[in-house]
Amino acid sequence: MEVESNVNLSMREVNCKLGMFTRPDGSVFISQGETAVIVGIYGPIEVKPHKILINKASVETHYCPKSGMPGIADKLCESILHNVCEAALASALYPRSSIVIIIQEMQNCGGIIPCAINACCLALLNAGTDMKFLFASASCGLDDEGNFHLDPDDLFLETAAASFIFVFDSIGKGLIASHTSGSFNLAQYQSALELCKKAAEGIFDFYKSTIKKDLKDKI
Amino acid sequence: MPENIGEFVFPGDVVRDLKVVNGVILRGPGLHSHEEPNCLLVTRAGKLCFKPPNVYWVEGHFKRYYPKKGDLVVGIIKKSGNVCKVDIGSSEVASLSLLSFEGATKKQKPDLQVGDVVYAKLLSAHREMEPELVCVDSYYKAGKLGPLSNDGFVMNVSLNFVNRILDVNSLLLRALGQKYVFEIAVGMNGKVWINGQRTIDVLNLMNALLAAERESNSNIVNVCRRYLT
Repeated sequence: MEVESNVNLSMREVNCKLGMFTRPDGSVFISQGETAVIVGIYGPIEVKPHKILINKASVETHYCPKSGMPGIADKLCESILHNVCEAALASALYPRSSIVIIIQEMQNCGGIIPCAINACCLALLNAGTDMKFLFASASCGLDDEGNFHLDPDDLFLETAAASFIFVFDSIGKGLIASHTSGSFNLAQYQSALELCKKAAEGIFDFYKSTIKKDLKDKI
Repeated sequence: MPENIGEFVFPGDVVRDLKVVNGVILRGPGLHSHEEPNCLLVTRAGKLCFKPPNVYWVEGHFKRYYPKKGDLVVGIIKKSGNVCKVDIGSSEVASLSLLSFEGATKKQKPDLQVGDVVYAKLLSAHREMEPELVCVDSYYKAGKLGPLSNDGFVMNVSLNFVNRILDVNSLLLRALGQKYVFEIAVGMNGKVWINGQRTIDVLNLMNALLAAERESNSNIVNVCRRYLT
C-alpha cells in the first residue's frame, strides 16, 4: 500500500527512565512529546481468593488518572491496556497468582493510550515478567484533507477527521489490537496501518537499546 | 551451537541450533520449549548464557523470586503454630513444619515467633502447590540452616546480585571481611540477613551492599574501599 507523500513520518520525542521506584518489581517513566505516564509492575504476587485462576495468573490493570477517580474514558483505556497485556504475558507459567499493572497518567497531551501501552511493555521487560512477545503501539491521525499525521497531539486530534491506534507484536509484526474513531474509508485504514507499522518498528528498536543500556552494568 | 550466546535476547526471540546431550537440553529461567525441535522460546529480556555441555539460561535483572526446589532462602515468619507460614518473597507464603528442625520432637520444638528470621531450604516448589521449607538436610542435621538471631538485619537485594555475592570469584565479601567481623546469610530469594558486632557496622555493611548492587564487578572493590575508610 502506497503511503501518502505528505506524511509526517517523525514521531514526537520518546524518553524513558527505567526502574526509578524501589518497591515495585518493575517500573518505568515514559514521555512521548508532552504526554507522560508512569507504570509499575508487581508480579507474580499473592492473589485475592475471588480472582484466583487455577490454570494461569490473573492480570490486573489499574489506570489512575492525573486527579480524581477513574471515569468512563479511563476505564476504556484500562480495558484496552488489560487486553493487550493479557495477550502478551505468558500467564500460564504462574498459576494461582496475580500480575498487577498500575498505570499513572502524569500528563495527557494526546496519545495517552499508545504511550501507556509502550510504557507497559518496557515496565514488563524491566520486571522480567515472562512474556510471549513484545508489543508496541503507534497512533496516527487523519485530517479533513486526507493527510496522515503520525503520533498526533491533542491540538491535532481536536480537528482530526479520524484517529487510529494500532498495537503490533514483535514476532511477525502482526496486528494485536486496533482502535479507531472518526470516519474513514478502507484505503485510508490500510495506509494508516502501514504507517503505524513502520513507526512501531522504531519503537521495538527503542525498547531493545533501552534495555541493553539498562542491563549493561547490572549483569 | 546458537550464534547469539552472550548477546541480548528479548521475549519472542527463538534460539536455534541448541546443543543436545542424550536428547536433553537443560533450560533455566527465561527459556521455554518451542514447537520446532532443538529450539527454545525466550520469554525474558537479558543475556543468553550457555554452560557446556547443554545448559542454557537468560541472565537479567529480576527482583521477584519464584521458588525453585533446593534453593536456600531467608524467610520471615508470618504465622506461628505447628506449621509456620514463612514469607520468602514469592507469590505465596511457604510452610515450615516445626518438626523439621534438627532434634525437634513433638514435645521439644524450637520457639519461633512472628517476625523471626529463618534460613531454610526449599523441599518442594511446584507451581500448583504451596512451597515447603525444611531446616534440616537429608541426614536430619541442621548444618547452617535454622533460626537466625534477632540481632541481625534483613535487607532485600535483586536476584542477580545474590548470584554475584555468592560467586566464588567475587571480591565483595572478602573485601568487607577485611574490615568487619560479621555473619551473613544470603538467600536465593533476594533476602540477605547480616549481623555484626555493632549496629554501626551492620549499617555500613548494608550501605556497602546497596552501593555494590549498582556497580559492575570490576568496580566493586573500589566501592567497598569507599565505605570501609
